[in-house]
Formats: sequence, C-alpha cells, structure tokens
Amino acid sequence: MTVSERIEQLKSEALSAVASGASTADLEDIRVRFLGRSAELTEIKKSIGTLSPDERKEIGRSSNLASREIEAALGSRAEEVAAREQEERLQAEAADVTLPGVPFPRGHLHPSQIVIDDVIDFFVGLGYRVAEGPEVETDYYNFTALGIPPGHPARTMQDTFFVDDGLVLRTQTSPMQIRTMLAQEPPVYVVCPGRTYRRDSDPTHTPMFHQIEGLAVDRGLTLGHLKGTLGAMARHVFGEGVEIRVRPSYFQFTEPSVEMDVSCFVCGGRDPHCKVCKGAGWLEMLGAGMVDPGVLEEVGYDPEEYTGYAFGMGPDRMAMVKYGVPDLRLFFEGDLRFLRQF
Amino acid sequence: MRVPLSWLHEYLDFDLRADELVDLFSLRSQEIDGVYRLGVIEGEVVIGEVVEFGPHPNADRLFVAKVDLGGREVQIVAGAQNPRPGVRVPVVLPGSVMSDGTTLKKAKLRGLESYGMMMSERELGISADHGGILLLDDSHEVGRPVAEYFPVGETVLDIDVTPNRPDLWGMIGVARELAAILKTEYRIPEPSFATGGKPTRDFGLRVEAEDLCPRYDLRRISDLEPGQVAPLWMRRRIYAGGMRPINAIVDATNYVMLETGQPIHAFDAVRVREGIVVRRGRTREKITLLDGSTRVLDEEVLVIADEERGLVIAGLMGAEDAEVGEETTDALIEVATFEGRNILQTSQKLGLRTDASGRFERGLDPNMVAYAMDRVSALLTQAPGGRSADDTLSHYPEPVEPWRVPLRLGRAELLLGMPVQMEEAVERLEALGCEVEREDGELWATVPTFRRDLRREADLVEEVGRLIGLDRVPETLPAVPQTGGLTEGQQRTRLLRRLLADLGLSEAITYPFGPERWTEDLGLEDGTVRLENPLSAEGGHLRTSILPGLLDATARNRAFGARGGALFEVGNVFFADVPQDELREAALRFRMTGERGVQEAGRLMGVREVSRIGVVLGGTVRPAGWNVPEVRAGFFEAKGLVERLVPGARFVPATRPYLHPGRSAAVLAGDKEAGWVGELHPEVAGRFGLDGWPVAALELDTALCQPAPEPRFEPFVNVPAVARDLAVLVEERIPVGDMLRSVRDLPGQLLTEVRVFDVYAGSPVPPGQKSVAFGFTFQGGKTLTDEEVDAEVWRVLSRLEDEFGVRVRS
Repeated sequence: MTVSERIEQLKSEALSAVASGASTADLEDIRVRFLGRSAELTEIKKSIGTLSPDERKEIGRSSNLASREIEAALGSRAEEVAAREQEERLQAEAADVTLPGVPFPRGHLHPSQIVIDDVIDFFVGLGYRVAEGPEVETDYYNFTALGIPPGHPARTMQDTFFVDDGLVLRTQTSPMQIRTMLAQEPPVYVVCPGRTYRRDSDPTHTPMFHQIEGLAVDRGLTLGHLKGTLGAMARHVFGEGVEIRVRPSYFQFTEPSVEMDVSCFVCGGRDPHCKVCKGAGWLEMLGAGMVDPGVLEEVGYDPEEYTGYAFGMGPDRMAMVKYGVPDLRLFFEGDLRFLRQF
Repeated sequence: MRVPLSWLHEYLDFDLRADELVDLFSLRSQEIDGVYRLGVIEGEVVIGEVVEFGPHPNADRLFVAKVDLGGREVQIVAGAQNPRPGVRVPVVLPGSVMSDGTTLKKAKLRGLESYGMMMSERELGISADHGGILLLDDSHEVGRPVAEYFPVGETVLDIDVTPNRPDLWGMIGVARELAAILKTEYRIPEPSFATGGKPTRDFGLRVEAEDLCPRYDLRRISDLEPGQVAPLWMRRRIYAGGMRPINAIVDATNYVMLETGQPIHAFDAVRVREGIVVRRGRTREKITLLDGSTRVLDEEVLVIADEERGLVIAGLMGAEDAEVGEETTDALIEVATFEGRNILQTSQKLGLRTDASGRFERGLDPNMVAYAMDRVSALLTQAPGGRSADDTLSHYPEPVEPWRVPLRLGRAELLLGMPVQMEEAVERLEALGCEVEREDGELWATVPTFRRDLRREADLVEEVGRLIGLDRVPETLPAVPQTGGLTEGQQRTRLLRRLLADLGLSEAITYPFGPERWTEDLGLEDGTVRLENPLSAEGGHLRTSILPGLLDATARNRAFGARGGALFEVGNVFFADVPQDELREAALRFRMTGERGVQEAGRLMGVREVSRIGVVLGGTVRPAGWNVPEVRAGFFEAKGLVERLVPGARFVPATRPYLHPGRSAAVLAGDKEAGWVGELHPEVAGRFGLDGWPVAALELDTALCQPAPEPRFEPFVNVPAVARDLAVLVEERIPVGDMLRSVRDLPGQLLTEVRVFDVYAGSPVPPGQKSVAFGFTFQGGKTLTDEEVDAEVWRVLSRLEDEFGVRVRS
C-alpha cells in the first residue's frame, strides 16, 4: 500500500469514526486518535522531510487535505453532538412546573385603611391637604366650638367616653375642623381621617370606628360644590356609574345640613332583593352641609366673606358595603382569617 | 315619631302611596325609619252578630260560633271564649291579608269548617289586647263593613325626628310639614268644650323655680264619670302612635300629646292638698314613681308638688299618690313648658326616659300650651260627664313673641348653588307658618314660636332649599387654589404600612383601650390614662404600647387554630401628662372654652399622644415549603424588620420587663431611642395565652422610622471586585455588631462590603470563644493585585486583633 493510499484509508477510517462519534468525549478521543501528536497521520506529516521532493509535494498535500477534512467533520459533528447533549441535559433538568414557587408572601392592609387611603388620594388629587389630630380631645373642640355647648341635647346623641375633667375620647373627627381653621386663614381645603369613639357596642356599632372629615372654606363655595365634590368621590370609590342624592338632615355645625346617599353600586336599584342595598336602591353614605356661620365666627372667619362646606363619612361602613362584610366588630379583632381577605 | 296615615289624612288631603310618601318626606324633610302595618291590610271586615256559641266538640281549648253576617250565617272556630249569643263582633273574611302578610283562608279546624275569624283588638290594630274578641256595641250595624266605623288596618310611618324639630313630635306639626312640602292646605281640630265645672281657683298655683318652668297652666275638669274607657277611635290612635291605652283621662292627655307634641299631666284633684307648687327638689327628698321605683332627688331636679309632698318629677313621671285612676271624677290638668336641658339632665341622672321627657328635653314652645289645654278639655268633656272649669290658672311671666329673621335671596342662591325665585321663597316660608314681608329685595320672615330652630338667615335658607328640593342643586366642582398632598410624616406612615404589608405582614387595627392587666401583665409601671366610663372593666385603660392589643389578637388567632402569624398596627399610645397644680385651672378653662392664655396647649391637654408602629410575630410566621425551610418568630426575624424600617439603626442590649432579657435590644436612630425589638419574655407570653409559642415583637416611634431614605448617588467604577473570606476566633461575649462597625469605620480603605456569613461556637472552637466568618468585597480605582488585597485584609485583621483580640482561625 502506498503512503497516499494509506492516507486515504486513514481518512475514511477517521470520517466513519467521526460519523459514529456519539458524544463530545468520543469525538475528543477520535481527534486524538487521528490527529493527535502520535496519530499515524501526524507521523506521516512528520516524515515528509525524508521523502523525495515529488512525493513530498504529493504526500504533503494529501495529508493536509485529509487532516482538514477530518477536522471539518469533527467540527460539524461536535456541533451536532453538543446540541443533542444540551437537549438531553435540559430534558433531564425538567422540573414539575406545577410545584409551588419559592414563597414571597404578600401581606394585607386593613380594609378600613384601604378605603381611607383611597378617599385621601382622591381628595389630594383635587388639591386638598390632610390633617390629623389627637384622639383624646377637649370638650371645647369636640363639642362647644361645633355648636354643642354643655347641656345641649345633641350631646346625648353621641355616647361619649370621658377621660378627665373636660377631656373626652373624640366622638367625631369634626374637632379637626376647628383646629384647622384656628391654625390658618382661608382658603381651607382639608380632609381629616382618624379613629373616633362612642360608647356603643353591637354588630353595627363598635366603641371605636373611623371617620373622614372634610372641610372647605373659601369665597363663593356652595351646596352645589359640596354635591359635585361628593358625587365625584362616590364615583371614585364605588365606580363610574353611581349617582348621589342628598336629603335634608341636622348637624349642629352645618346649616343647611344634608345626608348623602349613593345609588347601589351592585344592583343600581333594579333588584328588590339586593343584599347590599336591601332593595332600597340607595345606600346611606355620609353627613354633610354648609359650615354654620356660627362655627365660622367662632374661629374668626367672616361668614359674609367666606362660605364653606363640611362632610364626614365612615370608612369602616364604606368598606363593609364595598367588600360585603356583615359585622363591623370583625374589623377590630386582629383576626387573620379576616385580615387576609384584603 | 309614629305617624298613623289615617290620622294624617284627617288633617290634610293627599293621594300618595306609603312608599311615595316615604320618599317625599325623606327628600324634603326627615328620614323615615320604617313603615309598619297594623290590623288588616287588604280585604273585608264586617260586623257580625253571634247567634250560637259553644265548645268545639273535638278540642278542649277551641270554641265554635255561628255568626250572622247580615243575611247569611257562617260557622267560625275561635280560640277566645268571651263571645256570647247576641254580641256583635268584627269578622274578617277569607281572602283578607293580615298585617304580617298572611292571607286568611277558609280552614278546617279539628274537623269543623271555619269561615273567617272573629278579631281581637290586637288583630285589628286597636291595642295590644289579645285577651278576647272585641265586642262591639249595638250602634254597629250587623252586616256593614267595620271600616265605616273605624279603620281596620293602619299604615304607620316612623319618622326619625332630628333634635332641632320638636314641632314634628306631634301629628299637627307633621301635617303642617307635609302640607308645606305638597303646597297644600291643612286643617286642625277646633276645640270646643263644656264649661261650668268646679273652679280651678279652689287650688293654688305657685311657681317657685321660674328659671326651670317658663310656663305652667292648670285647669280643672270635674264631674267626670269614674272608670271610663277612652273611645275606641282614640285608643286605636294611641296604640298606633306607639303608646298603651290606660284609662279615659290618661288616654286623653296622651292623645293630645301625640296630636300636638305637648305632654300633659293629670292629677286627681281629690288628692292634691291646697295647690300646686313648682319647685326644686329638696336634698334627699324621695319620691316613689308610678313604675314603683323610689328616686332620691336633689336641688337640680324640678318637682311638681302640692303644699305637702312631691307629686311628679317634672316632665318625667308622676308619683302613684296623686295620679288619676279608676275612681277619679275631678282632675287637675297640667300643661306646662319646662327648661329642656334641665329635663335632659334629670333624665340622664335618673336613667329614666319617657315619651314626655323626650319631648320636653328638646325645648317646647310655651305658646302651644293654650291650644293643648283646650284640646284636652274638649276630649275630656266629650266623655260622659266631664265639665271644664271656667278659669285656668296660668304662670307665664315672659310670653315668647315671634321674631323676625331676614333672608337675602342672593345669600340663599350663594349657599344653595341654585337660583331661588322670590315668589317661591315667600310661598315656602309662609307654608311653614312664617309671615313674610318684602323690603328692598330682602325678605323678612316673622317666625312662629313653634319653630325655635329658625333663628338666622342660614336656617331660612335651609328651609327654602329643602322644600324646593335639594335634588335641583346641580353638581359642580370648586376651583381649588392650592396643591394637595401628604405631609412628610403622612407619607412616612403610609410607606411604613405598605412596606410591612409588602413584606408579608397583616395590618390590624385594635382598640386602644384595654384592661388594667395589660400594664400589669407587661410588668409596666402605671402611667395609663383611664376612662371614667368604660364599656366594661376590660376597656378602662388607654394603651401605653401597641403590644398588648396585638398580643391579645395573636392569642386569639392561635386559639382559632392559626399556626402563627405576623401582625402590625400603626396607632397612637397615650400617656398621662397631668398639668402641674398651678396649671389645673388654666387646663380646665382651656378644655372647656379653648382659651389657653399664654400657656402652650400641649401643657394643658393632660394626655400626651405618640404615634407608634408595633409588630408581633408569633409561632410559625411562614410555613416550610417543599424547597424552603419554615420561618419562626425570633429576635432576628423581628430585627430584620427594624433594619428595613430604620436603616442604619443601632441595637443596644437593653431589657424591658416584658422582653427576654438576653434577646432584646433598644433601637437607636442616630442619637434618639426609636423603640425596642425582642423576643417576648416567656412568662409574659404565658400571661397572654401564648405559652410555648415563639413570639417576637418590636415597637417604634413612627416619626423616627425612615422606610424610604432619600437616595444619594455614589460614583462607582468598572473594575472587577475581589472577594475574600476571613474566619476569626474571638471571645464569645464580644458583639459581632461592634466588630462590623469597627471594620466599616476603618479609614481610607478599599473595602466596599462586609457581611457575616457564619457564627459558630462549640467543638472544635475552644470553650468561651466563637468563630466568626466574614466575607469582604474589595474594589479600587483600578484592578487590584493580590498583594494589594492581602494588605487590606491584613489591615482589617490588625484592627480586629487590636480592638477585640481576635485570632485568625486556622
């Protein structure tokens, strides 16, 4: 067999080995066997120097060609094998994707706070500021300054917790109206959220509950502005479709006084058996009115120059209605079965 | 105020269904609390005459009647045994609907057909009497509908009268109001009565407590037949109005109260000695009331007495002594006005509230007295016998006159935000009883004295607005001339709450008052603010810490089967801050009048409130997953939260009585103490029902938290960082935090990050020592060589050797 024939033979042996090489490791072995330092083809190349010039040229060319061909086959085969191997590896790594992920558990905000934040965001968007005040309040701020002097019958309407001479747990957030107006000149646009207290306990009354008080005093404010503001708020909280209506009412610190109802956001008044509005079509939502001139005078504002409106709402009750909670007492028990639903 | 619609129809004509009336009244006047039905709502009730009456053959407690309904005879099974042959009874026919909504059907009772039902007073809505069938006298014609004599069914509106409208505590006031809403006329009974009775002046009248009694009128009605029952129509209305019929005299007074809103009292003249004295109570004076209770009076209680003894606690309730009764033939009728606040105070003091006191406490119109007196005289003299005295004793030294209130239309339009026509305003005010004059585009209303709530222009604006209809006010938004926003503190609180919720905690809101044991069980000193009138002994102390409420909630959650949980709450805590003695008077003045003089308000409040954030982790805070271990409540879990809430906080071992002495720390933010963090002392855990549960907690001043510190850019370089680890041995008592701080404080070094990744004590570490493994990251302006990094590690190590005596762990 001539050297050239041998080269051909080696080449075809190598190519067939490459073609059947099954793994990256196999292919590496094949490389060493046919192209390695001590491979026969390499030996042949090394011995070229000992050959005649004609043979040298012939053998040199054919051996290089063979090497290159084997190299190329190895390369493409290696790619194939690597791709398959990767495929197999990925197959082997397959997970049960239905198993739960690593937990990043979410916590929960209190439903009343969710409503309070929502209402506050609405009013902040309109240009209101937010004021907060003490929960232990003076008799003057909680009652007298709001037109409820000692002995006034309205005091019996609000079962009050007494703390000390002249100190009560505030029965409403309305004292913040007074505190706010005493601290600044008009215009006033402010909302005051907070805890309030009345000595009462049954499924719809807890001794602590929340209120959000709102107050606006400026030149030219009307009942229409109050209605517009509350209507927009109701649509923000309960959805675009809801309507409001106001009915006459009575509060010491507003005149005229109104109560506002929101049309039932569940049935729109069309379901006589609606669980939310009990078929009434309307949900009582809040009390409001034009700030009583006596209150404006009390804080040194001129009622001829300024008018204003005030409103007070119960975010707990709003949350009850919005989320369908039947019992107010659940709000204040710290029960995880309740809190985790919000 | 309960308003029977058949009664209302007597005063004005209207054609509205009950639900329409409810809507209209709600939108123009007062809220309606409910609509009640009495008697027979729909169907036929006819007068029958009992022909036969006897026991039911198959039942011990039933009877059978044959009843003539005027031309036809029916058989009716009855439960009552009072009918006798010959009596006339109301019979409701099958197919009629009763007040509870049921439809009466022909029935077979124990084998006998029963056609309809003979009715008791209760079933007809006349009274609560269900003791037997109502027997009608011969004036009721057999076969005719009962409704020709009196209504057999009634619809009653329950009006939730606001406290400024005592005029609506009577039917006449309600009729006037509805007439004003409907723009129609109303009519009231013209009282006329027989006079010539015994003179009132046989008795005296002396009003000693004039300040508490603006008006007191007394009239004698004599020659009454004893033992009379009020006529059926009157009893029926009294019952529908929510009261109980008693006897002819009392019923007449109650009827006029329901009619006018004016309470009236009747004395048996025989028992009144010499005359009526209106006076304050005497110290320790006792009076035994109709309800059998004996009350101890004082000088703030107004008493109606005779010359010898107290007869009535004014406006509230009479004593048994001088009340009218079955045998009364001669009555003294009191119609009076008392000072409302005094009645309210007495009512609260005695814990006694009556239909009368509820009206008096709102402050009644003294000018209503005369009409009410005439009305009750008319009703009592319609009873067999009764004759009114020709004279009335009256104490009314300062008659109340109507007053004038201006109304500018422009002002009304400004407040209401809608146009108001002059004619409309005039018409509406006149409908309410005002006399209206026009002067230069202004209106002047002369307000009737029964509308004591209409004093100022704004009051009239409200009346005009609500009667026109507040639904006609358009919705508009004001142009707010300022930017809105949350203050820094408000944003902080909101971020804190959101951060903790995002970290997996649940926000609780708990009552800030609790039992005394809260402080005791926590081992705290008593500095609590107390409530004078808690709902129960369990809620008499204001919290000084968020902790106990959250612990109670945690224990409750455990009791309900929770394996653990993480709660937080943001809220105020309260500390007694009693003003010094010399400031006590100023404090009281400030609290009652808002006057603080030169003092700071804070010093006069007496209570200091601080906003705190509290967290309680209990039990298994997060259960194990298939690929993650469980997280249980522990010091470091709580501390991790503090590190998020107060970045850069320092932790100093410091103990509190309710915390584990070795696993708790004070939290310092800069040089201020922001709060504490720690595991709960096992004994305290036990007291709160948390035995055997790991509990860790923290409480921080909200104002000192910094959940979202202001970012500040630090330049960085694009060269590789080099990581090196170093384990050292050090005495066990040395705080690792001190070592970390010391390393971080090394000046001018290339160290960019240091963390602790292992702390270990026990073999093979020598006793009394621990191994601490640090991981360092170094970075410089250029790629660091090994030599440079070695030098930095050596510098760190020498610092640790010098300050803490560490040795490199081999």
